[in-house]
Amino acid sequence: MANSIERCLESVLTAPLHCGQILVQETTTGHFVLSHRDDKPVDQLKVFRRAEDASNIAKYDDAGNYRPLKTAPNLRPGWRLELDTLEDLRRALDYFYPGRLAIFAAWKSGRLQTTVLRETLDRQSGMYRVAAKISDSQIDDLVADFCRSNGGCLRTILWKRDARATLTSTKLPDEKFDPNVDQAASGSPSAPTASTTSAATIPLLCQEACNLLIAECRKVVKGESALDL
Amino acid sequence: MEGKPDGALLIVAHGSTVNPDSSAPTLAHAAEIRRRKIFADVGCAFWKEEPSLRDALFLFDAESIREVYVVPNFISEGYFTQTVVPRELELNGRITERSTGQIWKYCEPVGNHPMMTELLLKRARDVASDIDPAEATLLIVAHGTDLNENSAVAAKREAEKIRALRKYATVLNVYMEEPPLVSDWRKLTKTRNIIVVPFFISDGLHSYEDIPVMLGIAEERRLSSRRPAEDGRLESRPSDVFRSNPYKLDDRSLFYAPSIGTDPGFADIIIEQALNAKS
Ligand code: SF4
Repeated sequence: MANSIERCLESVLTAPLHCGQILVQETTTGHFVLSHRDDKPVDQLKVFRRAEDASNIAKYDDAGNYRPLKTAPNLRPGWRLELDTLEDLRRALDYFYPGRLAIFAAWKSGRLQTTVLRETLDRQSGMYRVAAKISDSQIDDLVADFCRSNGGCLRTILWKRDARATLTSTKLPDEKFDPNVDQAASGSPSAPTASTTSAATIPLLCQEACNLLIAECRKVVKGESALDL
Repeated sequence: MEGKPDGALLIVAHGSTVNPDSSAPTLAHAAEIRRRKIFADVGCAFWKEEPSLRDALFLFDAESIREVYVVPNFISEGYFTQTVVPRELELNGRITERSTGQIWKYCEPVGNHPMMTELLLKRARDVASDIDPAEATLLIVAHGTDLNENSAVAAKREAEKIRALRKYATVLNVYMEEPPLVSDWRKLTKTRNIIVVPFFISDGLHSYEDIPVMLGIAEERRLSSRRPAEDGRLESRPSDVFRSNPYKLDDRSLFYAPSIGTDPGFADIIIEQALNAKS
């Protein structure tokens, strides 16, 4: 039985599909082929056939470094994943971008709730409690650097800085907050721009700041951030 | 086994931003449980990886999933099971009803299950299959002095239970950071054969490097979080430390096992903890 996430996935599979840095194509026989968007059909690609293989492809970047943030724009190229069923496709996308399909389905059905950054910060305990001391202007700079689609993270930010703020960071372009914009196209110079592609897109949504951003807030407060703020 | 056609399993674990192997066992156990089709859906959520514990709030559609069984893949109760997980998942006790009517049942951590004792014994047998337990010492290793976790207490409890079975000549709980110390194993043990099982949820710096260095079976190497060479020739893999048994040290033979949490038997215990949930 197809669950609601698979039904949602099926509804957007009308054309080639972009999800982050991944291109999904349905074959005439109803199977699915996934590849990196930057790979050309002529490229020599290593073929994989199990949804679980996605977990290993997503684990390290092209230079061999561990990828703690799966929505960072550093998915390695050079592979082709061939899958038989919609369920396999759902599981593979869930290994590439853990949780993002479910969040997308929740958003489409109006169930998704967002949490403002100040609330996430105030909820922290233990070593992360101090992160709440970050100032609004430091947040502005940090988010602009850490979350930017070009080199940071491909998610569309849906949360606000605090209950009063209308924006998250004044230093990010409006597209960063628009689920209709393909962040991978706007962030990568080599990818086609959003306006020239005919593919459907599943946006990678960020409904609440991730633990990595909270850890970075803590570093800013403690004066340990490596980011040039 | 009784199935849960409108129930989902959510395995929650720590995860890591630096250790590529931290979430691997949790993901593998989830894949195995999914394969058995006991639950309508099986998901994972992590404190330090994706999907986050906060994402987990939206993983299961209330229309088809009426109950969510939350099983912490942790060795013991502690800061994470008692503070972080309930807070992030907005749980208020063992049973939480959401506004949608979906019921979330918060189960016991995996390490609390009585089957853990049998699994530790199996691990010890697997790693030293030709050794007569009556002539061997079994060391259960935990971190110790981790103020937030009770893993040292859990290791002590397991050592006591195994000792009571009188299978091994000696059974000891040892720690990395407090006495009885792993590094004192020569003084603490008298048998010729020593079997060491790390009581951790996943392999990582502790099991790959820290404990081997303390045991004297490896040099400090500064483990990296980089991908192992794919041809397997150029670099050694961190897991090679489990493949060189037995280690001959003076007149002793030392058998070193991977962390208990990597044992496929963990999947059975996760299912048991979910099915044991209070109703
Ligand atoms: S907070 Fe959201 S957008 Fe920023 S890095 Fe984390 S996941 Fe990406």
